Amino acid sequence: MENIYLPKLAVIKEIIQETPDTKTVRITINNNECIDFLPGQFGEFSFIGEGESTFGFSSSPLRKEFLEFSFRTSGRATSGMNGLNPGDMIGFRGPYGNYFDTAKMKGKNLVFIGGGIGMAPVKSILEYCIDERSNYGKITVLYGARTVSDLMYKGVMEEWKKALDTNVVITVDPSGETKDWTGRVGFVPTVLEQLPLKGDNAVAVVCGPLIMIKFVLKSLDKMGFDKENIITTLENRMKCGLGKCGRCNVGSVYVCKDGPVFTAKELEALPNDF
Amino acid sequence: MEEKYFEITLENIKKFVNSLIENNNYEIIAPKKTGEDTFYEKINSFDEANLDILLPKLSFKENLLPKTESLFSYSLSGAGIVIDNPLENEEREAKKKIIFGARPCDAAAGPIMEKVFNWDYKDEFFNIKFKNLHIISIACGKPDNYCFCTEMQLSPESSYGSDILLKKSGNGYYVTVVTEKGMDIINPFLDMFKDMFKEISKEKIPPAGKWKASYDIKKTHSFLDNNFEHQYFQEKFLSCIGCGICTFTCPTCHCFDIQDEGTLKGGRRIRNWDSCQFGIFTLHTSGHNPRVTQGDRYRQRLMHKFKIYNEKFNKYLCVGCGRCSRNCPEDINLKEITKELASL
Repeated sequence: MENIYLPKLAVIKEIIQETPDTKTVRITINNNECIDFLPGQFGEFSFIGEGESTFGFSSSPLRKEFLEFSFRTSGRATSGMNGLNPGDMIGFRGPYGNYFDTAKMKGKNLVFIGGGIGMAPVKSILEYCIDERSNYGKITVLYGARTVSDLMYKGVMEEWKKALDTNVVITVDPSGETKDWTGRVGFVPTVLEQLPLKGDNAVAVVCGPLIMIKFVLKSLDKMGFDKENIITTLENRMKCGLGKCGRCNVGSVYVCKDGPVFTAKELEALPNDF
Repeated sequence: MEEKYFEITLENIKKFVNSLIENNNYEIIAPKKTGEDTFYEKINSFDEANLDILLPKLSFKENLLPKTESLFSYSLSGAGIVIDNPLENEEREAKKKIIFGARPCDAAAGPIMEKVFNWDYKDEFFNIKFKNLHIISIACGKPDNYCFCTEMQLSPESSYGSDILLKKSGNGYYVTVVTEKGMDIINPFLDMFKDMFKEISKEKIPPAGKWKASYDIKKTHSFLDNNFEHQYFQEKFLSCIGCGICTFTCPTCHCFDIQDEGTLKGGRRIRNWDSCQFGIFTLHTSGHNPRVTQGDRYRQRLMHKFKIYNEKFNKYLCVGCGRCSRNCPEDINLKEITKELASL
């Protein structure tokens, strides 16, 4: 009889301190294996004894050596996780939810837009597309954070830049720059509108704070992106991830089951409850 | 199965219930006076049952979804983490229970809630308890001003969710056996006591009353379909203090929280009843909260019960028992609200 709440035990392979309060954790499950998942899906990760948290996967599922997620230390479970070291165990349930429709992205120019820790699921689909680079057109990455020290994934950005026909733009919010900062300064939607992007034959993936998403959607609309070709994720508070505990719904949609990935067109049809 | 109909005297129903208690195959739970109020509790004889009340203070939801329930236990030692799955034990040791004298509204809650626990992933914690719970309900005499089961497409004599439905007769009860589970309960008695259950035809059982819905709940539903931003929600629920008693006393509210409790050596992961009326229910890590006002939260309660659940599972998540209203410290009355929304 299956206990759907029972976590598997995963081993921490590597921990990357991304910013002062965020970390990326790489884990394996069942003796050095990964699990099958798709970009956009999420899992329930737990420090056993302190509780579970919901995080999207941040690694490409095509890279089988580990499964990766990023988190900000803020509550009980993440404070527990923050104290862990490589070799320690954590609980894992998943994968859950829907995923980015890569079939729709094939042959198109891709724009990946991330803000803050919202870059995590973007990283997963971005690296997935880089891994199958020939399937897609031009790739543009726009990643922004409040300050330079809030930028995550500094260690892998170079790899993104090296990918074929890929333009990586990094920006920090005004007054978030340092003296030696060579990237852009400006809010993500502002910088986005300065980029030479066209909505025809293109798909945009957007994740980040809700306020950023709201303005990025407006900018993309101005730039001619079709609402069906703008894909984003909702990051509602969740507990079970299984469509039962009742807190993640927006209108009739259970974000954990019907989401977390939605097109801008689908978002438009939802009540303002997110 | 095809329903079967019997008649039983008051004397025999006592004998029937007392034998069920003595045989100890089932734990017998019935409305029982405890202090000022009546609750569904274990009884040790028929006389402990208090059947002459409209409704126990709380439903028997706890028998399906306990306030706190272990999802697993864990121990931490040098060797690592050991997780212990309680499900197998739970299935083996599950005690069959009979709720005797259940109200038809409370009986209906089980099969309604069952949908969300099985629509995709199967929640066996719920299923084991649901499978072992047997419901012998008694048709209601007179609903009060808070009751609206008839509006909720049920009635004071609805058999939905009951295994056996009793209706008062002149000197005892008419018995409708609705399910196989119900038949399993009375079969031994049919063999042992020839005259205890006298088989009758359906026509011999008169309706317990005339029931007519005073408004159409589908109109409430269609208002909710089109008026998410309506000012009604923000104004109506200004008085709501967000205590959550409506959700805790509700037979169908099932939202839960998951927490770990324990020490450095071990402990358990538990699920607890939670409430959409609490601000923290939907609070994001970032500080953003999709439902900021109490109006937003009560609207969610209405949406979930009278729109969302129906769209997902073709059932309204409400049995019209009225407990939310009876227990509300601010006198927020769900019957009035649903009626009002139906006419807006």
